[in-house]
Amino acid sequence: MNELQTTSLRPSEAKVIIAGIGGQGVIFITRVLAQTAATLGLPAIVSEVHGMSQRGGSVNSHLKIGVGEAPLIRSGTADLLFALDELEGLRNLPFLRRGGTLLVNAEPGLPFETVAHLAHLEIAVLSVPATHIATELGAPGVANVVLMGFLAAHSLLPLPFDAVREALAIAAPHQRELNLQAVEAGRRAAWFLQGRRLRWT
Amino acid sequence: MKYEVLLGNQAIALGLVEQGCRVVTSYPGTPSSEILAGVVKFQQRLGRDVYTEWSINEKVAFETALACSWSGLRSAVAMKQVGLNVASDPLFSAAYTGVRAGLVVIPADDPGPFSSQTEQDSRLTALTAKVPVFDPSSPLEARAMIRHAFELSERFRMPVMVRPTTRLCHACQAMSLDGDGLAEHSGDGVQFLKDPSRWAATPRLRYRLHVELSDKLRQVETAFAESSLNAVLDGDVLGKVGVIASGVAFHTAREALRELGVAVPALKIGTPYPLPQQLVRNFVAAHHTVVVLEEPDACIELQLPDRSQVHGRLDGTVPAAGELAPEVISEVLAHVLTAAGYEINRSAENPELQAFVSGLSLPVRAPRLCPGCPHRSAFFALKREFGAKTIFPSDIGCYTLGVNMGAVDTCVDMGASVSMASGFYLANRLGGNTQPIVATIGDSTFLHSGIAPLLNAVHTGARFVLVILDNQTTAMTGFQPTPASGTLADGSPAARQVGIAGIVRGCGVAFVEPADPYDHSHFRGVLRRAYQHSQAPEGGVAVVIAERPCTLHDAQLLRQNPLPVAIAETCDGCRYCLEAFGCPALVLRTDGSRVDIEPNLCVACGQCISVCPKGSIVAQTADS
Repeated sequence: MNELQTTSLRPSEAKVIIAGIGGQGVIFITRVLAQTAATLGLPAIVSEVHGMSQRGGSVNSHLKIGVGEAPLIRSGTADLLFALDELEGLRNLPFLRRGGTLLVNAEPGLPFETVAHLAHLEIAVLSVPATHIATELGAPGVANVVLMGFLAAHSLLPLPFDAVREALAIAAPHQRELNLQAVEAGRRAAWFLQGRRLRWT
Repeated sequence: MKYEVLLGNQAIALGLVEQGCRVVTSYPGTPSSEILAGVVKFQQRLGRDVYTEWSINEKVAFETALACSWSGLRSAVAMKQVGLNVASDPLFSAAYTGVRAGLVVIPADDPGPFSSQTEQDSRLTALTAKVPVFDPSSPLEARAMIRHAFELSERFRMPVMVRPTTRLCHACQAMSLDGDGLAEHSGDGVQFLKDPSRWAATPRLRYRLHVELSDKLRQVETAFAESSLNAVLDGDVLGKVGVIASGVAFHTAREALRELGVAVPALKIGTPYPLPQQLVRNFVAAHHTVVVLEEPDACIELQLPDRSQVHGRLDGTVPAAGELAPEVISEVLAHVLTAAGYEINRSAENPELQAFVSGLSLPVRAPRLCPGCPHRSAFFALKREFGAKTIFPSDIGCYTLGVNMGAVDTCVDMGASVSMASGFYLANRLGGNTQPIVATIGDSTFLHSGIAPLLNAVHTGARFVLVILDNQTTAMTGFQPTPASGTLADGSPAARQVGIAGIVRGCGVAFVEPADPYDHSHFRGVLRRAYQHSQAPEGGVAVVIAERPCTLHDAQLLRQNPLPVAIAETCDGCRYCLEAFGCPALVLRTDGSRVDIEPNLCVACGQCISVCPKGSIVAQTADS
């Protein structure tokens, strides 16, 4: 009921790449989204990166909802790329299918030429200053949750905002209040951009 | 019913707990490390009594679990694939002797490889050792296969392997914690029953045990032929192309076929060894061409006596190395299907996007030692003290990343730094060279397999400096305790805390000195004296213990004494600190004019102050 009207994907299927650098909370976001799917009864499988690559290097997770049990997403087939870092967003672009969306934590946003070129390649770009918003909350570390709030408000995935919020509240009890503030801030950002008609740049 | 998202390794752990496994031992190693931690978690949640142990190494872990099995307790041992090499001695022997209560061996393979020195296939180790293998394709199936494995192990009284791979270990799937009922296992009858003709069999009796083992394997093959874990799924039987796949590759292949818009039959193999030969032969005979997709090597393919219609790793149709990523499987299937005359759908490809991203030449973000890492300080001191002419043998752990600082010249396997240092000393002596040798090894790795080579070095009179990088935990794999850290796998206090210095002295090393790598000048002084001892007429191996807790694991010491830094105006962007020290918090400005401190990464360790030759990295003052 609180969701924004956007390009709808298939109602119960999605392939998502979550990208960032070690320590940004890529695995946390992936697990919350997967748990949301599980609670809704949607079959999901996730692939994470552990070990050596965690030490400050590029990391990505794959999340597949309702599309089989293979853990990895083939390049050129992802619906959504959720990037906590601009560089990692660009690096992981080849995963997207034609018509896919890049949702990226970036300020002021990707360069106009890049966005224009990607539009030509049928990739929509949605830039959100998630770190800026999180810093205003006094915790730059929750930029990942801000961006997830933005994502959930846009219903780019078959996961309603309230269900994501619920899974988030259970996932990290030690910083429940902060996470809930962050996810709300992400939702407000989504509404703000909707009002400004800046959604699909 | 409540569904929880569990990691593949946790699903395996849940399987062990719910099947009444009483003893689980392990040594940490990616991608297997979360199995034992999962057992600790689920035995508490499900109220089961399971003994868990981070053993000193995989051989000890295996033998501990084996003795428990021989005493009537369901037991399991988990490790990464190269850990199975360490445990292979008891594995091969136990295949002959057999077991009493179920014994499940879980080596996690690492196709890629992502965190290992090899891409070896534990299924092939099992084939050589004559141990049956289950090859799960998903976390859910891995959990279920634990039950099959215990049942098979007890039916035939032999150790049984369940072999996951990285992508399964680190995949997450939702499942209910209420499985199909918990297997009960009482403590009754738990006792070692003497039978020297089996448990202490001499070579003559071993021959008879080998005959018995071969007979068991024939029966296992018959059981596997009837198992629902091996079955033909999907596809119209057109008789042209068939796919045989196991593990994660099965699901990837199935999805690739769907994307390519082709329906051909796929034979899923859940038990690759001993291979149900008749089943596979019938499938091959029903098709003109068969592709085998398996990881990381060719185990199913190798067991097929007639490969004239079969394509896979061995004939080069499937690449001989690397993981079977969706792109690889798609490419292989597209090639085989096109050759067989199928029309395939390649609409999912987006080459322009690939080209666009390649054109951006994005900088690679390789893994680096963390900000504040004591290993970085130790390596920096080693390089300054000994220079590039020194041979730096090193070992397995976070500190292998010291290769980026030019302070790691060799990395072979666990504990090899010490024996390689001995070997280089010998080669130098025989070749008349006097090159200094300074080896590095972590605390957990030293305890795992560094002690025996150190004893050997003392005994043979080798001369080198060994720096034990003691960060008081097994950092790389997620901070598991060691015998030196004083806690057990479940967090309870250890029976006794073992000191590394005492072990080193016990090996007969005369020079043993602990030093804090954060205290740069003192640490270098100790290194210098250690080197002098190694060269003195009465000297020998000298051991320096670099003591400083891992910054990620225990930041207490750092918080007590923070030393925030600033970059002075004199910085001219010469890049020395970036190359020689390489802390992620030191960042070169995009115009290359100078270096900045990245405040979100800096941990205020102050270690970079002594690095800048121009003194441009300074302690932050109130007004700076």
